[in-house]
Amino acid sequence: MKLQMIVGIVLAVVVVGVAAEVTIWSWRSWDIPVWPKVEAALKAAGYDITIKYEVFAPTEYDAKMALALRTGTGPDLVYARRLPDVRTSSMIDAGLYLPIDGLVDLSHFPETVLKYITYTDGRIYGVPFAVQVIGIFYNKRIYEQFGLKEPETWDELVANAEILKAHGIVPFFIPGKEGWTLAMQHAMCGVSVLGPEWICKLINGEVNFLDPRFTDLNRRLNELKVYYQDGFLANSVTDMNAAFAFEQAAMVFYGIWEYKQTWKKLNPELEVGYFMVPPLTRDQKPYAYVYMDGAITLTSNAKNVEAALKVLQFCATPEFGTIFASETWNIPAVLGASLPEDPLLQEILDVYHNHASPCVYWVGSVFVSQRPSLYDDVLSPGMQAMYAGKISPEDLSKMAQDAISQWYPPLMKKD
Amino acid sequence: MKTKIKKKEKKYILLFIIPTLILYTLFIIYPLFSSLALSFYSWPGAGKPTFVGLRNFRMLFVGPFSKELFNAFFHNVYFFILTSLFELGIGFFIAVMLATKIKRISIFKTIIYIPNMIPIILVGFMWSLFLNPQIGFVNQLLRAIGLKNLAKPWLGDPNLALTVIILVNVWRSIGFYVLVLLAAIQNIPLDLIEAAYMDGASNWQLIRKVIFPLTLPTFRTLLILLFIWSFNTFELIYAMVGVQAGPFRSTDVLGTLFYRTAFGGLGSAVVDMGLGAAVTVFIFCIVMPLSILYVVYKEKRESER
Repeated sequence: MKLQMIVGIVLAVVVVGVAAEVTIWSWRSWDIPVWPKVEAALKAAGYDITIKYEVFAPTEYDAKMALALRTGTGPDLVYARRLPDVRTSSMIDAGLYLPIDGLVDLSHFPETVLKYITYTDGRIYGVPFAVQVIGIFYNKRIYEQFGLKEPETWDELVANAEILKAHGIVPFFIPGKEGWTLAMQHAMCGVSVLGPEWICKLINGEVNFLDPRFTDLNRRLNELKVYYQDGFLANSVTDMNAAFAFEQAAMVFYGIWEYKQTWKKLNPELEVGYFMVPPLTRDQKPYAYVYMDGAITLTSNAKNVEAALKVLQFCATPEFGTIFASETWNIPAVLGASLPEDPLLQEILDVYHNHASPCVYWVGSVFVSQRPSLYDDVLSPGMQAMYAGKISPEDLSKMAQDAISQWYPPLMKKD
Repeated sequence: MKTKIKKKEKKYILLFIIPTLILYTLFIIYPLFSSLALSFYSWPGAGKPTFVGLRNFRMLFVGPFSKELFNAFFHNVYFFILTSLFELGIGFFIAVMLATKIKRISIFKTIIYIPNMIPIILVGFMWSLFLNPQIGFVNQLLRAIGLKNLAKPWLGDPNLALTVIILVNVWRSIGFYVLVLLAAIQNIPLDLIEAAYMDGASNWQLIRKVIFPLTLPTFRTLLILLFIWSFNTFELIYAMVGVQAGPFRSTDVLGTLFYRTAFGGLGSAVVDMGLGAAVTVFIFCIVMPLSILYVVYKEKRESER
């Protein structure tokens, strides 16, 4: 018995000493092929580290991960949500997320991305991994077939839709059952149609949601619904991906993340184009809604901190960005990575570098940091209600103002 | 009539009850009181809970969540009324029809119970495919028989979605109620039925005056169960329209409201387990009194016998 124990302990020490294992938890199933490559790259550099990457459903991930970390059974690294977000800030306050500035070289990241993982204490709590760009994706073949060009104003967009509808093509496929996509649609239109200057004024409290320009956007979106597919309020994102991939619809209001792993997988022949939502007039500049997806964070449960830091240091290099982009065709947050030679991806990258809106009101904005939030509690159900004809565009504005003025000081004054 | 229990027997009775009592306390009583306590705190899931007194309840009943709370509550009531009508009402008539001695009637008993064997999440998933407005079989069937105008976006219409989900629930659960009511009907002594026929009762009078009154106790039990399950319903709505209870919260019930407040939706909204606990306290306060009332009522009836 005693001999067995000794042998067991020796084996354990040997195993631990010879190969360090780093576990990572995430909600992104798209990243599964990335980590074996990272492991190979680290091994090639002489670090004997095994990476175990585990994925959970996005709706269960936060609760599961928080519970595991609190009870000390969590992984070494986790994918953390961007700030501001109460899920992330509460983990930082509880000491479950550890700061890494000073331990990892973050010189390859732009300030605009790092601010999403910098806490109020000024420290940085993770290595950003991806940036998401949203906008209108369209079927190039259908556009060519009807001689359509990428619209430069809102009216041109509507005119394109009118031509498509006249020829029996579904102009826009909208997954109306999933309210979050409608909030996303509103947000991506807002950065161009309302413009960053207006949104910055909203954040400062110089204008509020009752401003006629906000109501005007609501109205324009409401008028656009004649160009959506029949019964759009009952369709999900899965339906949209299938319809767009199999060329049953011309345009979708969505993000780059489904491009390779869903649309191209379903239909490799699909030719996808992208344009930012056009502004109202030609003299305004279009903008794109760009946000940091999340960061890889060191946890207080890390068993082998040295190995975990090695992995993080690698994730902060352009080489990681190249691996990440080549597997997921998402835009890595780190600068200097080389992306696959795909024209759409290159276009998106250019948009990220040069046309990202500096002020936003959806994810990553102040308006979603408390409840009632502009995302979950106003735009998601509100857009559905407006599209269903239950509330008017003015009511939606009022809903937003009523909700946000309950807790956001700059918008709390009576108008 | 209570039988006298010897002291020695008492010891053994206690010995057998204690393990179960321990498990019951650990997994049911303790979480119950723990939730009740948690509803007075605010807790985002990590770190220490902060005491907030009645703030969660104030937020739920008169504050920013009151509209959602009462919206969800009335949906639960609607759920209960409709499921009782269909599952107990139609279930009863199906049970009466199955209580005959027609050859091979047991095949129908099996058929009606099959949906009940399918896991509820799968039922939700299946039916959301059937109800897809473009390619779902429901709409395709309607278009094929010429009823194109009835081919609506079922789960996307705020006026129809909840009713549609309830109907799916009826489809899935009715088998259980049919079998229970069938057992109750078959328990009725045959001589009573024969006597009724001999007195010249028609089938309809037989049902109304003999069968229904004699199965009333079973109805009461099932009604209580249905009430508790209606106020706890969550899985079907989660599977068919998601936890955001679209469209526009028209399918929101207390269960989905709880999930959203405790664990958050898809957005970076506030996550507060204390608020979720307050919702569960509300559900508990609705369901518990009725259950107690029922037990008291049953005890009274038992002692009257």
